[in-house]
Amino acid sequence: MKAGERRRLRFAFGALGAVPVFLCGWLGWLQVVQGGELVRKDGRALPLVAATADRQVWRSEKYPAPRGTIVDRNGVTLATDCEAYEVRAHVAVPRDLRKDVVAFRGWLATLVDRMALALVADPEQTGRRERHARHRERLAGILARAFRVGELPATGKFPFRPRAADFLVATGIDRLAVADALHELDADFRTVRLDFIRSFRRVYLERELTHGIVGHTDTIWVEDEHGGAGYRTFGVCGLEALRALTPGIGGRRRIRQDGRRRAYFVEPAAGMVPPTRLHTTLDLELQRVAVRELAAQAESGDARGEHRPRWGALVLVDLDNGDLLAAASWHDKTEDKVPTEKGKAFTPYQSRFEPGSIVKPLVLSYAHQVNALDWRRDRFDCSPNGADYARRIASLGRRRPVQDDHRCGVLDAHGIIVNSSNIGAAMVGLGLSREQWQDYMRAYGFGTSVNLNLPHEAVPGHHPDSFDPRRPLRSFFANSAISFSFGYELEVTPLQVARAYLRMFRGIEAELRLVRGVEVAGEWHRVPPRQGTGLRYRPEVVEAVRAAMADVVDNSEHATGRHLWEQFHKQGIDLHGLVGGKTGTAASRVGIGNGRLKHVRNASFVGFVPAEDPRWLAVCVLQKDGRARFYGGSYAAPPAVKLLLECQRLAERRQLRQEPRSGSGGQTRIGSTVPKASQALPRTPGFSGWLSPVGAGAARDTR
Amino acid sequence: MRWLLAGLFFALAVVLAIGTAGIRADNVRTRRHIERDYRRVADQVVELRRLAMERLAATSPQRLAAMHWQWLRQAAARYQERLQ
Repeated sequence: MKAGERRRLRFAFGALGAVPVFLCGWLGWLQVVQGGELVRKDGRALPLVAATADRQVWRSEKYPAPRGTIVDRNGVTLATDCEAYEVRAHVAVPRDLRKDVVAFRGWLATLVDRMALALVADPEQTGRRERHARHRERLAGILARAFRVGELPATGKFPFRPRAADFLVATGIDRLAVADALHELDADFRTVRLDFIRSFRRVYLERELTHGIVGHTDTIWVEDEHGGAGYRTFGVCGLEALRALTPGIGGRRRIRQDGRRRAYFVEPAAGMVPPTRLHTTLDLELQRVAVRELAAQAESGDARGEHRPRWGALVLVDLDNGDLLAAASWHDKTEDKVPTEKGKAFTPYQSRFEPGSIVKPLVLSYAHQVNALDWRRDRFDCSPNGADYARRIASLGRRRPVQDDHRCGVLDAHGIIVNSSNIGAAMVGLGLSREQWQDYMRAYGFGTSVNLNLPHEAVPGHHPDSFDPRRPLRSFFANSAISFSFGYELEVTPLQVARAYLRMFRGIEAELRLVRGVEVAGEWHRVPPRQGTGLRYRPEVVEAVRAAMADVVDNSEHATGRHLWEQFHKQGIDLHGLVGGKTGTAASRVGIGNGRLKHVRNASFVGFVPAEDPRWLAVCVLQKDGRARFYGGSYAAPPAVKLLLECQRLAERRQLRQEPRSGSGGQTRIGSTVPKASQALPRTPGFSGWLSPVGAGAARDTR
Repeated sequence: MRWLLAGLFFALAVVLAIGTAGIRADNVRTRRHIERDYRRVADQVVELRRLAMERLAATSPQRLAAMHWQWLRQAAARYQERLQ
C-alpha cells in the first residue's frame, strides 16, 4: 500500500469514526447541557427527558360503550345504538398567512366553505342546500369569534395570539361520504387537524308505536366526585331508564403518534363488550294494533263534531305469564293542556282514574273467596225501594243514594255482574269487614307499584282517610265500603287494573312482566315470570266470575256489553262465548291545579279471550271532560275487543307457521314461555290460606 | 489483511444500520397505512350500521304495505294508459 493510499484510507476511517463521536456529543448536548424542563400552561413542569418523549408518542383512543339494544319478544329491534363520530377541529393560522390578513380572510372563508360542503357531502342527504347554508353560517360564526375576525385590521400582519382554535365541527357523523370528505379536508389543510371521536346515536325503530313504553334518554353535563366532568346520557323514562341499559366503561385503543399527531397503528381496540340486549315482552305487531285501535276510537267522534277524550290507554296482558304484550297511550294533542308534562305522560302507568264498575268482578270474587258471598244461593233485591236496600244501605244514613243505570230486580252474584248493579255490588261489599277491604286492596295491589321498575309511575290507591282507624265503622260502611264496591273512592292506573285481574285469574302474587331477560356480554339472564306463586282463588270462584263476565258480552236485555255485542254482530261476529269482559263508567272529578276540580267521565272495559279459558286480557280506558254520556261498553270496549281478537288470530297464525321466536343468546324456541309447575317458586310463608272464612281483626291472616 | 477485515466489519455494521433503519422506516410507513385502513374500515362499519338501520326502518309491515300499494297503483295506472 502506497503512502498516499494509506493516508486516504486513514482519512476515510477517521471521518467515519467521527460520526459516533458527533452523535455522542450531540446526545450530551441535548441531554445534559440543554437538559431541563419546560413550564406548561397549567404550571406543571415538563421534564425534557427521553421518557417524556416516549410518553408523548403514545396516545389512546376511547371507545365508549353502547347503551344496549331493546328488542320485542320476537327479536324485533325497538331501540339501538348506531355508531357515529363527533368531529372536533384544531385550526391554526398558517405561518405564511400570519403576514397578510387579507390572505388569511380568504383562507378562512375557503376553510369554512369546505367544511360546510364536507358535512353535506352525501348526495343521499335531503335538503343539502339549506343544510350547507346553515353549517356555513354556524362555522363562520365559530371561527370569526375564535380568531376575532371583526377586530382584524384591513391589511397587514395577523396581530393576535393565540393563533389557533379548537371547536366542535359536528356530532352524529355516520355517513361514509361525509367522513371521507372530512378526511380529505384534513389532508388538504396542513394546519387543520380533525379528531374523529367515537360516539353513539340512539335510534328508535317504530318510534311512533313505542315512544311511551320505550322512553327516551337525555344528555346532560355532569361533574363527578373526582373532579371530572363531562356529558353523560341517562334514560329519562320508560324502558330506557332501566339500570341494565347503563353503559359500561367501554374500550380503548393504543396508537402512536408523531410530532404532527399523525396516528400509527399499534393494536386494535381492546376491552369492548357486546351491547346489552334487553328482551321485552312487547309484541310489536300487537302494539301496532293497540296504538291504531286506541287512536281510531279516541278520534272517532271528530266527524260528528264531538269532543275528544282527554286521554286513553289500552294494554294487553298474557295471562299465562303476566307478560305485557302491548301498551298504547293516547292524548288529545289538539288541546292546550297537552304541552305540559302530564300531556307527555304514558297513560298506562301514569294516568289515574276512578275505575267504576270494572272492579265489581274483583269485589265479588274476593267476597266469594272469603265466603262472604254464596255465589249460588245469595239473592239480593236490587230495586231502589226494595227491602234489602232499605235494610242494608239506606239504614246507614248515606247522603247520596246508590243508584243503578237501569232498574234491576232480584239478582244473584252472576246477575249483579251481568247487570252491573251498583246496589247489588254495594250489598255484597257491605258483607265485608273493614279489615277485609284492606286485604282486598292488598290482594289486588291497589295503591302499590306494578313493579315494572319504570320511573315516574303513578301509584294511586284508596283515599288516605278510607281506613283511618279513628273513623267510625258506620261512616266507613256508609261511604267507603259502598263506594269501593263499584269502583269509587279509589284511583287506579290501567296497568294496576290489568294486574288485579291477572291476580284474580292466576294467584295473588302474580305480577306483570315487561322484561323477559337480559343478554349481558353474550350471557342470558332470564327474568322469571311471577306466575303460579302464592295463593290462588279457588277454581269455582274463578269459574263463576269468568262465566258472569262471559255473559256480560251478550244480547240479553240488561247485559252491559249489549251495545258491544250488537256492534260486532253487524260485522258478522257473535262475541258471546268468544269474549268475556266487564264494562265500567265512572263520573268523577279530577284536580286541574290551584285546587280546582273538573268533572270527567271514565269509560273503561276489561276483556279476555277465549271466554271459556282466558288466556289474554285487555284493559281499555278513555277519559273525557264534562258530564256527557260516555260509556265503557260503547267507547272503551270496541278497541279492547278488536285487540283481543287480533291477538287470538295472530296466535293461531303463529301456531300454524310454528314461527320461531328469538330467545336466549341467539337460540330459538317455539311457542310460549310458560314455566313448568316444577319451576314455580315456593309459596311465600306467612299466609294462612283463603279456604276458611276470615273475620274482622284477622286481616293479616286473610291470605 | 487486518485493515481489510476491519473495513469489511465496518461496512457490515453500516449496512446493518442502514438496513435496520430502512426496515424500521418501512415498519412505520406500514403502520401508517394500517392505521388509515383501520379507520377506513371503521368508517365503513359505521356506514353499514346506518344503512342497516335505515333499511330495517323502511321495511316495517306498514311501510312495506304502503310501498306495495303504491306499486299496485302505478301498475294499474300503466295498465289504464295501455288500454287507452
